[in-house]
Amino acid sequence: MLFFRSEEEVHEWCTAQGSPIRPLVTIDQLWNLATTWYSTRLQEDSRRPRPDEMREIFAGVGLEGDFWDPTLDTFG
Amino acid sequence: MERDIQIKLAVYRHFAENGHPPSPGEVADRAGSDVESVLDAYGRLRAERVLVLEADGASIRMAPPFSGIPTEHVVEAGGIEYFANCAWDALGVPAALHEPGTVRSRCGQSGAPLHLHVDRQGPEPSDWLFHSLLPAAKWWDNIVFT
Repeated sequence: MLFFRSEEEVHEWCTAQGSPIRPLVTIDQLWNLATTWYSTRLQEDSRRPRPDEMREIFAGVGLEGDFWDPTLDTFG
Repeated sequence: MERDIQIKLAVYRHFAENGHPPSPGEVADRAGSDVESVLDAYGRLRAERVLVLEADGASIRMAPPFSGIPTEHVVEAGGIEYFANCAWDALGVPAALHEPGTVRSRCGQSGAPLHLHVDRQGPEPSDWLFHSLLPAAKWWDNIVFT
C-alpha cells in the first residue's frame, strides 16, 4: 500500500511490477477510510469493521467492485 | 475478555505516548497484569487482527496503524515521531491520535518526497494517490507484504 504522486507513476510502477493497475484512491478517500478504521483505536470499545461493514464503508467513499470485497477469495 | 481489552489498550497507549512498541513487561505494568498473561493475550489479539507479532511471539511488529519497526511512512505529531505500516496507516496515525500531524513518505515509483499536513478535520488538499497491489480479500494473507 503505497503513495504515488500521479496516475502516470502508478502505471509505471505496475508495469515494472508486472501487475495490473488497481483502483486509485484519492487522499480524501483515504482519509475517510483511515478515520473509519482508526479513530476509535485508542478507546476501550474499539473494534475492526466486520467484512460486511467493510464493503459498506468502501462503497460509502465510492470504492465498489470485487477488488474492495473482503469476502471474495477468488479475485486475482 | 476484559483483560485482553486492557492489554490491547496498554499496547496502543504506549505507542501513542512514545512512538515505539512496549515490551511485554511494560504492557503488564500498565495493564495491571503479568508477562505470561500478556503473551497469552497477544496470541488472541493477533487472531483478532489488532496486533502482528514477530516470530518470538513477544515483540510487536504492528499495532495498526503503528509500526513497531522503522518504515518509509513517518508521521510527526505532538513532538513524537511515529512509523506507520503503509500509506493507509500513515493517515491512520493522526486519525487514531486525534492530533494534527505531518506525514512524510515518498512516491512508490519516483521516490519523490511527500509532506502532507493533516489537521483534525483531515489532510490539506493533495493530488497524490493511494494504490494497493492486493485486493481487500488478500490483505491479511500476508499483512507485512500488504
